[in-house]
Amino acid sequence: MATLSGVNFVTPRFVVADAPGFGKGGPVKVLCLNRPWKRVSQLESKGLKGIRPVRAVPDSISEKVEKSIKDAQETCSDDPVSGECAAAWDEVEELSAAASHAKDKKKDDDPLENYCKENPETDECRTYDN
Amino acid sequence: MAVSTLYTPQALNSTCSISTPAKSHVGFHQKQLVFYRRTSKRVGGGGGSAVITCSAGDSQTVVIGLAADSGCGKSTFMRRLTSVFGGAAEPPKGGNPDSNTLISDMTTVICLDDYHSLDRTGRKEKGVTALDPRANDFDLMYEQVKALKSGVAVDKPIYNHVTGLLDPPELIKPPKILVIEGLHPMFDDRVRDLLDFSIYLDISNEVKFAWKIQRDMAERGHSLESIKASIEARKPDFDAYIDPQKQYADAVIEVLPTQLIPDDNEGKVLRVRLIMKEGVENFSPVYLFDEGSTISWIPCGRKLTCSYPGIKFHYGPDTYFGNEVSILEMDGQFDRLDELIYVESHLSNISTKFYGEVTQQMLKHADFPGSNNGTGLFQTIVGLKIRDLYEQLTSSKAAAPLEARKA
Repeated sequence: MATLSGVNFVTPRFVVADAPGFGKGGPVKVLCLNRPWKRVSQLESKGLKGIRPVRAVPDSISEKVEKSIKDAQETCSDDPVSGECAAAWDEVEELSAAASHAKDKKKDDDPLENYCKENPETDECRTYDN
Repeated sequence: MAVSTLYTPQALNSTCSISTPAKSHVGFHQKQLVFYRRTSKRVGGGGGSAVITCSAGDSQTVVIGLAADSGCGKSTFMRRLTSVFGGAAEPPKGGNPDSNTLISDMTTVICLDDYHSLDRTGRKEKGVTALDPRANDFDLMYEQVKALKSGVAVDKPIYNHVTGLLDPPELIKPPKILVIEGLHPMFDDRVRDLLDFSIYLDISNEVKFAWKIQRDMAERGHSLESIKASIEARKPDFDAYIDPQKQYADAVIEVLPTQLIPDDNEGKVLRVRLIMKEGVENFSPVYLFDEGSTISWIPCGRKLTCSYPGIKFHYGPDTYFGNEVSILEMDGQFDRLDELIYVESHLSNISTKFYGEVTQQMLKHADFPGSNNGTGLFQTIVGLKIRDLYEQLTSSKAAAPLEARKA
């Protein structure tokens, strides 16, 4: 269900301990899952205002790239020839490369191809050469 | 020594040679396993049984070094190279998903970023780029490459490019061909001596800028200025530590902007030069028509029609950082299959096993970048040369046991 894709309560990233009424990272009651808008407001009322949804890896790399560019521009405005400035832009380069690799990987990710790589003998994966 | 029955010799990764039990390999640091085969199909003329010595450490691991900026194991060059040997290279199954290592049947590609001594935070604190030798552990690199070369498996650290941290090590078994790819394969002279062949991928500044624009402009946060600033900031370290490795490389692939289109800044049509060192053992440079002479060749004409901007070749001897070299240069693009096969048929010493092998390899990966210009062509040719070098090295090492077999 598309509505479920946004929030995952089981990941350790969320500080669940603060919220009263929630167990230690336990799953949310099924009732709440069908009405995410209501659930978000419930969360806010219970003090979990800071939760952001966990996004797929490529997005977080993109965010890292964006953040690193801002950091580099700040560091270099203080001292453009320092080692810190070079290190900051080097980080930008590394993250940009990682982002483009992740993008390529995502492009290549065909679920059927991946399945057939592991199980070439199944019916779906049979190939006929003649 | 362990003795056990062998039913499926294909399971062995290392090459086996049939020898008399009395033969011993003295003076090598290697692991030896002696397998006694009960049923034999094709045992050197003998009857039911023979002793097969399988030594992983016959120093048959060929080590290739590839110096390339920002790109590790996933680069097009690596994929072409591993494809020449057959099979696709994949990350190790069941291991760290962010591993940089690629493994295929014959080859293992190791990313030298795994030998960073400082992780991303460490480098930030010290104000040091990844290009700086202070961020890399060359002692560990030397030990592990030496171990793999002599047939001993190693626990290699993993540098996670996503998190910027050093992850727990992974086990790397000695392969037939070990490729070490990264920023500093030829920086440390001990590591350099272990290399059987080394390649340097030299991208000129204009082309680098054009490629990085294509790669990064779609990223949020990046702009023309940030891309430019990033290249400029890394340039001093690059020029000081990475660029000097060019002089040690056996082959340099230099990528420059084209001379066929005036004021071209898109970086789509490229002028690529393959600079091959003379006098390298087991490596004979590729040439055009007449080895050692200077040739200028435009294949487009009566027999072959090319579209704009056409193709131009140049071949000749030269000196490069004080070394004698031969340079083969291609400017322009391939548009059709017959252009490619026509060019291939006129090149000599390309170490193909059959007519059209270069074209076949290029077609196999027609979707890779550079498949229509000199980068793809020369990368494929270098891959074939490495295969040739590997076969020469392994046949010369097998020559001694072969004599014993015949006797």
